[in-house]
Amino acid sequence: MQPCSREMQAMNPLLNPAQQLPLQDLQSTAHQQIQNPHFDPTASHDDFLEQMLSPLSSCSWSDLKSPWDPPKSDETGPPNVGFHYDEVLASKLRQHQINGGDGGGVSSPATAAIKMMAQQQMMLPGRGVAGMPLSLGSSGAAGSHHQNDIIYGSSFKSPNQQGGEGSMQSLYNGFSDGSLPGTNQTQHFQHPQAPNFGATAGTVMNQSQASGSMTPAQPKQRVRARRGQATDPHSIAERLRRERIAERMKALQELVPNANKTDKASMLDEIIDYVKFLQLQVKVLSMSRLGGAAAVAPLVAEMPSEGGGDCANGGGSIHRNSNGNQTSADNDSVTVTEHQVAKLMEEDVGSAMQYLQGKGLCLMPISLATAISTATCHSRNPNKGGGSHPLLQSNGEGPSSPSMSVLSVQSATRGNGGLDGSVKDAASVSKP
Amino acid sequence: MNPSSLKSRFATRFLRALTQIHARKPICPSSPTEIFRRYRRIKAAADKSMAYSVRSRRTWTGAVLWKLRSRSCGRRSVKTSTLVKSQQAIEKKTRHEKQNKNTTTTTGGHGVGFGVEATASELRELVPGGEAMDYCNLLDETAHYIKCLTTQVKVMKKIADFYSL
Repeated sequence: MQPCSREMQAMNPLLNPAQQLPLQDLQSTAHQQIQNPHFDPTASHDDFLEQMLSPLSSCSWSDLKSPWDPPKSDETGPPNVGFHYDEVLASKLRQHQINGGDGGGVSSPATAAIKMMAQQQMMLPGRGVAGMPLSLGSSGAAGSHHQNDIIYGSSFKSPNQQGGEGSMQSLYNGFSDGSLPGTNQTQHFQHPQAPNFGATAGTVMNQSQASGSMTPAQPKQRVRARRGQATDPHSIAERLRRERIAERMKALQELVPNANKTDKASMLDEIIDYVKFLQLQVKVLSMSRLGGAAAVAPLVAEMPSEGGGDCANGGGSIHRNSNGNQTSADNDSVTVTEHQVAKLMEEDVGSAMQYLQGKGLCLMPISLATAISTATCHSRNPNKGGGSHPLLQSNGEGPSSPSMSVLSVQSATRGNGGLDGSVKDAASVSKP
Repeated sequence: MNPSSLKSRFATRFLRALTQIHARKPICPSSPTEIFRRYRRIKAAADKSMAYSVRSRRTWTGAVLWKLRSRSCGRRSVKTSTLVKSQQAIEKKTRHEKQNKNTTTTTGGHGVGFGVEATASELRELVPGGEAMDYCNLLDETAHYIKCLTTQVKVMKKIADFYSL
């Protein structure tokens, strides 16, 4: 960044192409900023200051840095490329100045210089100030056809005349040092803020010497943040992360039915339950589509914990679901398993379920088990498509599809065990 | 119906796999073993075809396919030890990553309460491949996963209804 100041000094109205890119950036950002016109024709110069600085403060560095594209339009100023920079500032001034009262708008050279400083500091972080006023002054005087530019140039020249380059540098540094804390805190400058700026401007010269060396590096890192929010990069990243999470949660809410929209934690629980439910549905459906043999025997291996609890309350029995081991006549192993499961049930039903599932077993109410065993007796000699019908008949209902039947079985285990009451559950489950 | 939508892609792939599965004639078709095996195969085919039908490569699709492949390889091949070892290594790595991610998220995520991070672990178990992701990506994956699961369920229900008539 250091050669830039020297270059700025060297070339005056005509900026070389290397410099134009950031300035084009400035112009585009200035155009963007100008999109929010904020000017009040009847304001005093204090309000002028606020108005000019308020859109500056409302945008953050990310807004400034992102539009690295060539300027969209040159409609606000002369098509001459060399006048980009002062176009930027000029257009800013034009937006915020009092209509027609150009002379009255820029009341004092000091405040105008301070405004200039603020803009410079926003747009050209870390650049040497020394070169700027010279180019601006010269370009301003070089016959730009805006009144603002002339006033700009003239007002700008006066601080230049005050103490030359050294004072400009110190003015800039001091202002940047003094203004940043103020601007960081507020989004819209109220009236109480104006005296702050007056005060900071007054104390600029005092503070400048102390902090002169540090400030050129600092404006690079500072970010104009919104009201009531810190500028710490960590908190900004944190804020971004939270926003991303919030929008993802919103997207999830739309997918999941019964979106409460109240609490994030309960929404997460809802999402988890829904994912479990969908996975269970896939399992059940893949079981029901075996095209022939009863979908009865390999019943649902996994059940939600509350269903397991109900089953346990209903005096569950273990229904053997073979896992490839055809030796189902081992009573010893069955009793051992039962004891194990009973022990596990006391502490946690979920783990008991998982244990059973690992063995290829599942738990269900006794009433259901009897119903299924009668059904399987019928289905021992099935015809191809009729495997599921005995189950339907034993249920006493007439669901229209195997998926319905299996779901009714499963929801019966989940509920009170009554098969008749489960029809509605099945209906609600399979046909939402 | 859109010929190139997720639904149609999944449906075609799944039906193809189903016909393949039904084409094999088992020895005793109604034995519980056979039924269970078929169920596993159908479910695996459903998951696999879902994972393949997804246009944009997602983390969970890779995890699903990897799980299926490792399971099938574990059954068939004799040398399961190497696979198991590699699986354990990967699990250890993901667990370590999850611990790291949890610590980073808890230190930086004071906006999101601790309770939320705890239930996120449950979500991680549900969503395949969700162990080694940060919370933000996990939510993204969950959304996509839910969308694909609903498609899967719809198509499978339609097929079941069709075959039951």
